[in-house]
Amino acid sequence: MAEAAAEQPAFTISGLQKSFGANWVLRGIDLAIPARAVTVLMGANGAGKSTLVKIAAGLHGPDAGEMRLAGQPYRPGSPAEAIEAGIVVVHQAINDGVAPDLDVASNLMLDRLAGGQEPILFNPRRIRRKAKAIADLMGLEMDLSAPVRRLSLADRQMVAIARAMARDPKLLILDEPTSSLSDTEARRLFALVDRLRAQGVAVLYISHRMSDIRRIADRIITLRDGRITGMFRDRPLDYEGAVNAMLGHGLTDVDIQSPPPGDPVLQVADLQLVPGARPFSLTLRRNEVTALTGLVGTGKTAFAEVLFGLRRPHAGSLLLDGRPYAPATPGAAIEAGVFLSAKDRASNAVVPQYDLMRNLTLPFLPRFSSAGVVRRGRERNVAQDQIAALNIVCQSERDGILTLSGGNQQKVMVARWLSQPSRLLILDEPFQGVDIGARRDLGAKLRETASDHATLVLCAELDEALEVADRILVMAEHSLAGDHPNREVDLDLILSQVAGGAPLAVPGWAVPA
Amino acid sequence: MGGAGMSGPVAPPPAGEDRGRVGGSSSRGDTATRLAIRYGFLVLLAGLVVFFMAAAEGFTSVFSAVFIFQSVAITAILALGVTATLVVGGFDLSIGAVATSSMMASAYAMVVWNLGAVEAVLVCLLLGLVVGLINGMLVVYTRIPDLLATLGMMFVLIGLQRIPTEGRSIAAGMTLPDGSTAEGTFSAAFMAIGRHRFDLVEKNVLPVSVLFMLAMGFLIWFFLEYTRYGRVMYAIGSNERAAALAGAPVRRYKIAAYMISGVFASVGGILLAARLGRGDIASGNNLLLDSVAAALIGFAVLGAAKPNAFGTAIGALFVGVLLQGLTMLNVPYYTQDFVKGAVLVLALIFTFTLSHRQDR
Amino acid sequence: MIDRRSLLAAAGAALMATSLVGTAQAADMPKPFDKPEDVKIALVRYLSTGDFFQAYLAGVERQAKALGVDLRVFDSRQDAALQADMVDQAIALGVDGIVIQHGLTESMKAAAQRALDAGIKVVAFDVNVENDKIPQVEQSDRDLARLALEQAIKDNGDSFKAGYVYVPGIAPLDRRDETWVKVKKANPGIEEVAVFGTLDNPIANSVANQAGAALRANPQITVMFAPYDEFAKGVKIAVDELGMTDQVDIYSADVSTADISAMREPGSAWVATAATNPAVVGEVSVRALAMLLAGENPGASVIVPPTLITQKDLNDQDIKNMEELGQKLPQFSHADVATPAWMPLPKR
Repeated sequence: MAEAAAEQPAFTISGLQKSFGANWVLRGIDLAIPARAVTVLMGANGAGKSTLVKIAAGLHGPDAGEMRLAGQPYRPGSPAEAIEAGIVVVHQAINDGVAPDLDVASNLMLDRLAGGQEPILFNPRRIRRKAKAIADLMGLEMDLSAPVRRLSLADRQMVAIARAMARDPKLLILDEPTSSLSDTEARRLFALVDRLRAQGVAVLYISHRMSDIRRIADRIITLRDGRITGMFRDRPLDYEGAVNAMLGHGLTDVDIQSPPPGDPVLQVADLQLVPGARPFSLTLRRNEVTALTGLVGTGKTAFAEVLFGLRRPHAGSLLLDGRPYAPATPGAAIEAGVFLSAKDRASNAVVPQYDLMRNLTLPFLPRFSSAGVVRRGRERNVAQDQIAALNIVCQSERDGILTLSGGNQQKVMVARWLSQPSRLLILDEPFQGVDIGARRDLGAKLRETASDHATLVLCAELDEALEVADRILVMAEHSLAGDHPNREVDLDLILSQVAGGAPLAVPGWAVPA
Repeated sequence: MGGAGMSGPVAPPPAGEDRGRVGGSSSRGDTATRLAIRYGFLVLLAGLVVFFMAAAEGFTSVFSAVFIFQSVAITAILALGVTATLVVGGFDLSIGAVATSSMMASAYAMVVWNLGAVEAVLVCLLLGLVVGLINGMLVVYTRIPDLLATLGMMFVLIGLQRIPTEGRSIAAGMTLPDGSTAEGTFSAAFMAIGRHRFDLVEKNVLPVSVLFMLAMGFLIWFFLEYTRYGRVMYAIGSNERAAALAGAPVRRYKIAAYMISGVFASVGGILLAARLGRGDIASGNNLLLDSVAAALIGFAVLGAAKPNAFGTAIGALFVGVLLQGLTMLNVPYYTQDFVKGAVLVLALIFTFTLSHRQDR
Repeated sequence: MIDRRSLLAAAGAALMATSLVGTAQAADMPKPFDKPEDVKIALVRYLSTGDFFQAYLAGVERQAKALGVDLRVFDSRQDAALQADMVDQAIALGVDGIVIQHGLTESMKAAAQRALDAGIKVVAFDVNVENDKIPQVEQSDRDLARLALEQAIKDNGDSFKAGYVYVPGIAPLDRRDETWVKVKKANPGIEEVAVFGTLDNPIANSVANQAGAALRANPQITVMFAPYDEFAKGVKIAVDELGMTDQVDIYSADVSTADISAMREPGSAWVATAATNPAVVGEVSVRALAMLLAGENPGASVIVPPTLITQKDLNDQDIKNMEELGQKLPQFSHADVATPAWMPLPKR
C-alpha cells in the first residue's frame, strides 16, 4: 500500500457502470492503473473486459461513473478523441490493426495519413523517413517497403503497436495480444512490453493465459460479472488467488450423490492435441458425469473436436467400447454414438429459420424418415416428449426457436442430443447464457439420463463443474492437469492446476466462504 | 487475504440473469398486418387476374390460362432450380447460360451429330449435371464466393456454346464451319416436347412444357418440404455451422444443390430448343433475371421470408399473368419491365420487413 | 464486261465465275491492286455475334480473298470505346483502308476522321459517321419493309387487321417502321390492332409469349408484320401454339437457314420475308473500299438492294438453306453494286 501512494496513477476509473438494455455488463468499476507498470486484467468470457476496454477507447459511453487520465477528466466521444488524449488500444484481432496490402512504412504512418496530418500529395520518401524514425524508436528491424501481408502475425502486431507508440500514449491497452501468436512470437512481444514499461508507459494487459500473466504482470486485477473481484500487487503475486477471484467464490456445497461408475466407454491413450503438448490418457465411463474445466484456450474445445470428428489429433489413439475410434466427420461420430452439443448455440447450433421441433430433430432426420420422407407424426411425438422431459417453456413444438428465452433455447439444443441413445454425450459450455433455473433443470436432466452413456461436460466456470459432475478433469496447456472425484474436493489443488502451476498448496490462502 | 485489496462496487444494479425474449409471438395486436404479409401476394395475384379479366378481352378462357402457364414454364423451371441453391444459402448466376447452352447442345446433337431425341435429351441433362458439379466444387472447394464462381461459369458457357458452330445458330440444313451441310434434323419426338398438347377439358389444351413445369415444381416442392434432404438443405442455408455440427455433410449438400440447379436449367434449355425448333445463340441473361425475380418474389408468398418452391412457382405465375395481361392491353415492353421491377421491390419489402419483425 | 458478268452471276455458273476471278487477276488491275499482297485492309466491328454478322464477315473475307489483299479483323464486341481504340490500332498498323461495321456515331465520328487524316480510306456499314468523304454502305431497310408489305397487300388486299412487332430505338427497326407508317397512311383499310415487341433474349421465345397474348386479345388479326426474323419466328411459334396457322399470315424481313426451314414447315403461317444477303453486304463493303483505294468514287451511299423471298419460291425450288437460296435465287447471291470492270468477284 505504501508503494501505491508513491505513484501517481496514470489512469483511474471510479463508479463506472454500463448496461445494454436490461443486461448489466459493468456494475460499478473502481480501478487505478499506475504508470511504469503492467497491470493485468483477468476475467472469464462475459465478465465485461471488452466493454471496459471499449469505454476507455471511446467506442461506448458509460452510463455512470468517471474516468481520469493523468489527473484530468477523460470522457472520449470517439476513438479518435481517445487516441488524441493518449489512450491507445491494440486489439485482439491483429489484422484489424493493419492494412495488409500496404507496405510497412505506410502502415506505420496510417493514422497520420488517415487523420489528415500529412499533405494530400503522397511523398513516399518522406513517409519512409518518418516511418523509419518510428521503427527505430521501437527497435523494429524489418523491411519497411515489404507489404504487411508478408509479415508474420507477431510482426504485424509489432507494427500496430509501434504505430500506437509513436503517439507517445499515456496508457497502452493490449487486448489478448498473444492469442494468435506462437511462443517465440510472444516472447518478442513481451520484450517490447518490458521496454515500454521501462519508458514509463502505463500498460493494461488483458489476458487469461496464465503463462503470459506469470511472465509479464506487475499487478493483477480480476473482473467477474461486471465487478472488480480482486486486486493483487504484493510479490510474489498470488496467481491462484487471482484465478479464484476471476472464476468466483460461490463454490457452495453441492450435494452430489455419485452412483457407481459403469463400464468404460471411451479410452484415450497418449493423446497429443497439438504438437508439443504433453500426451495424456483417460477413461470415461457409463453412468458418470465428467466435467472438464480449464481456462479459455487450454484445449477443452480442441479435445471435444477430436472426439466429434472435427479435428485430427496430433498423436495418440481412442477406443470406443473397446474398438478403435477415429471419426472423420461429425456424421461418422454421430453414427458411432458420440454426440456433441456445441458451445455458443447462436452460431453453432440454432437454426434460426426453424421452429423448436425442427431444431430438435435436425441431427437424426434419417431416424424420422422413411425413404427420405420425413414422418412428421413421429417427429412431433419426440419433440413433445422432450418438451415435457426438459420442462421447456413454450406454447407448442411449432414455436419459432428465436421466440424462446436463452435458457429454453439451450434446453432444446441439449434435448436434440438426449432424444436419441448415445454412447458418449459431450456438452461444450451447456450453461452459457442460461439462467439459474434452466441450469438446474439441465444439470438434473444430465445426471438423470447418464445411466446408458458416458457424459462429458466442458465448462470454464468451476462452480458449474462442481454443481453437475461426478468427476472433475482439469485441462491446462492442451493437456490433462488434474483428475478429481467430486467428493471433498481440494479446491486449492484444482485452482492451482487451472492456473497451470505445479500442484502445490498455498499457505495462507483459503477459499473465501 | 495475502495482500489482495478488494474494491467494493458502488450500488450494484440488479443482476440480469437472462436476456431472453420470452413469448415474443404471443401478441396478436397486429393481426391485420400479419394477414396482409401472409396472404398479401396471393390476394394481389387474384386481384390482378380479376382486373385483366375485366380489362383485357380474351384473357378469360382455359386456353388463356394454359398460355400463361406455357409462357412462364421455362422461367419457372429455371427459377425452381435456382431456388435449390438459394435454400442452401448459395446463388447460381449461370442458369440462363446453362439453359441456352443446353438448347445449343440439343440442337447440335440432333442436327450435327444426327442423334435422336432421347440421346439429345441425355446430352443436355449431362451438361446440366456437369456444370452444376463444377459450380458446386468451385464454391465448396476453391472457396470462390458463389456469385463470382457462377458468374465465371456463365461467361464460360456463353462462349463455349458458340465455339462448335463459330457463333452461328443451329438449324437443320445449316452450313458447318468446314463448309459441309448438316445432315440431321430436329427429331419429331423432340419437337413434340415443345409442341404436343394433351387433352384437358377440351382437346389439345395442355402443352408438354406446362406438364413439365408442374411435375418439376411438385418434385422440388416435395423434396424441399417433405424429405430429410430438403430439411437439411434449409438448415444449411439458415446456419451452416449448426448443420455441420449436427452431422450433415454440408459440402455434398451444397454441391447437390448446384447440380439440381444445373439439371433444372438444362431441362429449361430442352424446352426452349423444342419450342424454337433450333439452337439459337443467346446469353440467356433475360431468362436468368426473370427466374431470379420469380424466386425472390416467391420469398414473399405466404409470408415465408425464405426461398421456397411453392412461392417460386407463384412468383413465376405472377410475372406471367402480369406480362400477358399488359401485352393484351398493348402496353410496350419497357413499361412491362418497369412493372416487373416494381413488383419485385414490393415483394422484397414484404420479405425483409417480415423477417425483420420476426428477428426482433 | 459488266453485262457479261451479271449475266454469268445470274446464271449462277460457279465454274465460269472461277475462271472470271482468274482473268481478273491477270488483267490490268488499277493501282494498288496490281500488287494486292501489299494492300492491307481492316474490318473494325461493333457487333459480331449472330448469324447475320457471321455471314457478313464471311462476305468480307470472300471479297478480300478475291482481291488478294491482307485483311485484319478487329472485333470490339459492343464496346464503343474499344471500337474507337481499334480504329487507332488499325491506323498504327499502317492499313490502307478500313471498313467500319456498326458502332455509335458519337464514338466513331472522331475515330473515322483520324483515319482519314492518316490518309486511310474508310467506308462505313450501318453506322453514320457524318462524314462526306466516307461512303455509307447500307442495306435498304425501307426497301425491305416495302417489299414485304407490298407482298402482304398483294396476298390480303389493302384492307385487313394487322398486328405489328416493333421495338423503338433500334435504327434499322426505326427505318422499317417509317415504311410501315407510310403504308398504313396510304392504305386506310389496314388497321393496326396490336403492337408489341421485346429484345429480351432468346428473342423468339419472349416474342412468342407476347404474340400469344396479343393474338388472344385480338383474334381477328389476319396479318402479322414482324420486320425482323427473330420477331417473325416468335410470332410463328405463338400462331402454331394457338392453332391459328390458317388464319394468320406473317410477313417479315431478314432470312437465315433456320428461317427457311420455319417458313417451309407444312402449313407455316410465315409466308414471305424480304432480305438482303449479309454476305453480299460484306462483299459490297470491301468492293466500295477497293474502289476508293483505286481512286474511284463508289458514291456517298452504297445501297444493297433486298430480295423478296416467298414460301412459294422456297417450296417450288426446294430451297433448304442459305447456300441453296444463293444458288437458286441468284438475285440473292449477288448485288450488282460497286462493280467496276476491273473488280474481281468472289467465286461462287
